[in-house]
Amino acid sequence: MRIIVTTVVVLSGLAVATRGPGRPAAPLAPRPSASTAPGGPAPELTNASWLNAERPLRLAALRGRVVLLNFWVFTCGNCTRTVPSLVAYDRAYRDRGLTLIGIHTPEFPPYAGEHDKGNLARALARQGITYPNAQDNDRRTWDAYGIRYWPSFVLIDRRGTIRYTGYGEFHQDDAEFRIWDSRIQQLLGE
Amino acid sequence: MTGPWTWVLAALGAAACVATPPPVRLVAGPPLTLAAAPGVRINARLKPALELEGGTVLRFDSPHVTPDSAYFAAPPTVMPPTKTRRGTLRVSVCLPRERICRLVAMSVAW
Repeated sequence: MRIIVTTVVVLSGLAVATRGPGRPAAPLAPRPSASTAPGGPAPELTNASWLNAERPLRLAALRGRVVLLNFWVFTCGNCTRTVPSLVAYDRAYRDRGLTLIGIHTPEFPPYAGEHDKGNLARALARQGITYPNAQDNDRRTWDAYGIRYWPSFVLIDRRGTIRYTGYGEFHQDDAEFRIWDSRIQQLLGE
Repeated sequence: MTGPWTWVLAALGAAACVATPPPVRLVAGPPLTLAAAPGVRINARLKPALELEGGTVLRFDSPHVTPDSAYFAAPPTVMPPTKTRRGTLRVSVCLPRERICRLVAMSVAW
């Protein structure tokens, strides 16, 4: 059996690309730019197409609320398995000042169906998601925040400042769930 | 381009070749088969694609998936096109330990 010659490899997430045999895993980092590192102002959302929202949401109009952005796509198992945790946060904290926003960013070109608003609407219904979701089909918000992995998270305080960033699947009541839960409560208490 | 930049680019290229094992590779057929590196899972909800010149897209598939239908349980395959022998391979790969999905895109020839 002949092995195919690979001429160019582009990875979304360079940890795999830079890891050599026998070497320790390269640390995963969300690649924050100067403007999206914790402590910096959160880039404004400019997406035009939204679900579970009467009009496009803008961070400027959400000052005074804590905002948790979840970068995800419905074809990603790591993302969908994290959704129950996010739904739990939304139920627990929406009335106390948390706004959870899904930033739905496709992996593949449109032929895969991830760009389709109807497909996303069905995924939201299937997952029981009632919080707003932006269609980030052109990756403008993904790029503005320097995101590399599905799922990723950005937690923004009441003043519009990025306070925490992270990535990776987690489940209700596991350690990562509790970390994000405590971060949300901390910012709600400020 | 000549001069010192040539050496810089050559060094960068060499380093990249040494330190960039792709998480998947394409194995000749027919059918063309996607083989994942150890520990790497191929996303079955977003079937891998082989994009050919002219806009044709072939999708890899396998009847064997994990119980939650999230990943392929056997290497996905596709019948190779008859007229072309190169294209762009696009695969969504997931790494259990890191609990994330990544996009891999690579130019391939067979």
